[in-house]
Amino acid sequence: MAKALDNRAWLLVLPALVILAFVAIIPLLTTVNYSFHDIFSQDYKFWVGAEWYREILGSARFWGSFGRSLLFSTIILLIEIPLGIYIAIQMPKRSLWVAVCLVMMSLPLLVPWNIIPMIWKTFISPAYLGGAFSAIGIDFNWKAEVIDTWFAIVLMDVWHWTSLVVLLCYSGLTTIPAAYYNAAAIDRASRWAVLRYIELPKLSSVLMMAILLRFMDSFMIYTEAFRLNAGGPGYSTTFMAMELGEDIFAFNYGPAAARSVICFIIILTVSWLFKTALAIQQADSVSSTLSSTAEARP
Amino acid sequence: MIVPLGRRSPIHFRWLAPSLYIAFMLLPLLPVIYISFHSTLRGSDLPVGTFTLSNYLHIAQNEDLVAAIFSSVSYVLFNILITIPVALPAAYAFSRYSFVGDKHLFLGFLALRMTPPVVMIFPVFQVFSAVGLINTPLAIALAHCLFNIPIAIWVLEGFISSIPREIDETAFIDGYSFPRFFMRKLIPLMAPGIAVAAFFCFLFSWVEVVFARILTVTSGKPISMAISALFSFKTDVGLVMAMTVFSIVPGALLIYFVRNHIAKGFMIAQVK
Repeated sequence: MAKALDNRAWLLVLPALVILAFVAIIPLLTTVNYSFHDIFSQDYKFWVGAEWYREILGSARFWGSFGRSLLFSTIILLIEIPLGIYIAIQMPKRSLWVAVCLVMMSLPLLVPWNIIPMIWKTFISPAYLGGAFSAIGIDFNWKAEVIDTWFAIVLMDVWHWTSLVVLLCYSGLTTIPAAYYNAAAIDRASRWAVLRYIELPKLSSVLMMAILLRFMDSFMIYTEAFRLNAGGPGYSTTFMAMELGEDIFAFNYGPAAARSVICFIIILTVSWLFKTALAIQQADSVSSTLSSTAEARP
Repeated sequence: MIVPLGRRSPIHFRWLAPSLYIAFMLLPLLPVIYISFHSTLRGSDLPVGTFTLSNYLHIAQNEDLVAAIFSSVSYVLFNILITIPVALPAAYAFSRYSFVGDKHLFLGFLALRMTPPVVMIFPVFQVFSAVGLINTPLAIALAHCLFNIPIAIWVLEGFISSIPREIDETAFIDGYSFPRFFMRKLIPLMAPGIAVAAFFCFLFSWVEVVFARILTVTSGKPISMAISALFSFKTDVGLVMAMTVFSIVPGALLIYFVRNHIAKGFMIAQVK
């Protein structure tokens, strides 16, 4: 059903826009302005043109942290999305247990982000998980070993965020009518076929949102990773946002602003790609619905 | 009743995966809960490792922690009170009308949700200090609108789109003005949606620390920062853990109350 075209709808969006202009758009414009200046104090700044951008984009450190962020996001998506779908499918249907499961699964989502590394430092210490590892002969040293730190951060993120994917997928699954499953059962469809031809297509939009949320939030991971091992050992877990944080807290406002702008351009690009993919997907689903109704006619 | 023939997996296997998953979710929290009920500070009346409730009693006795709880609760409430009233009309507009630039606006909102606070802290601090908002709960509440308004619009749009358009049309034919329709018809129908949107505002505002830290320089510290401040030369780990447990409880209660409606919020998939 087509929506009515009415430009007065802008008036309804206006209050939200005014607040976002104050908390986001004005600050972003300030950032763009600062990124072209060398700033010593509020009244004492020089125009330096694209100097900061040239410096950052030409530095091996930036590309190193960019690569690490990309690798981290890839690992996170490869683990959290399939695991989230699997758990959502295996969730008990309509019973008291759903509520219990939802509440217990969501606990990690409710912990303030700076507390999460603290919980995990306790958990992976020799008193708990670290001790269990050494008992089975694995030398787990997350402070000094690169692989172990990565393992700890990935595990921490999986623990923290997979439930969001579960929550989203579960909500998508509950909207599939029972008739679809019954039809599949009559056709003796395998479990795999049900997943491939019923569940995944029905989940696609929620799943896209889950992928986008998890991609961006892991790509820009800051607090959790920083507080676990401060980007170490060496620079092996220094991600993009951590370099930005470093610049900000060292009062390098010009480079910090330039980094922020670079981050924002990446975010905008990814969001645009996502929106385009969503539009293509919706066009597909509309055309397939149309063709299936056409076939259904005698 | 049709018996599913193709699915032969026995019932008890279905339980295995969620149970293991929940065990994994709870495991790192167990030490936290365990320590929170035990004395950890050397040199106090209780020997280290004794079961005690004193850590929880100490929360009430610690002025900084009580102030932090008050501060966290107030900025989360402010945030919900700002977000929902502005997100509701915007969600209605996205759900019912097409207008010039709506696709771009959608992309813009999406990008703002994806923007990590660390990208914004420096300019937001400058803008907020220029208007004298620093150290107030209102500052954090406003800063959190960056991600909460887009989320609330997204969730509310799903709920509004699940309400048949005929309801709007009949109301207008019956002579309802737009504001009256909104207050009398739409909001009562939207009650579960508003609850879910408010829950998500709570969730993301409660756990966020980057804005909360930078915007409270000298006072108005939230719970997360108050816990960090407990670390010192002689940290009372038990108190830290008790406070951590305390910070999870309100959210868990809220999830329990909105559990039946959470699923509906993301129905955007089916209607958009």
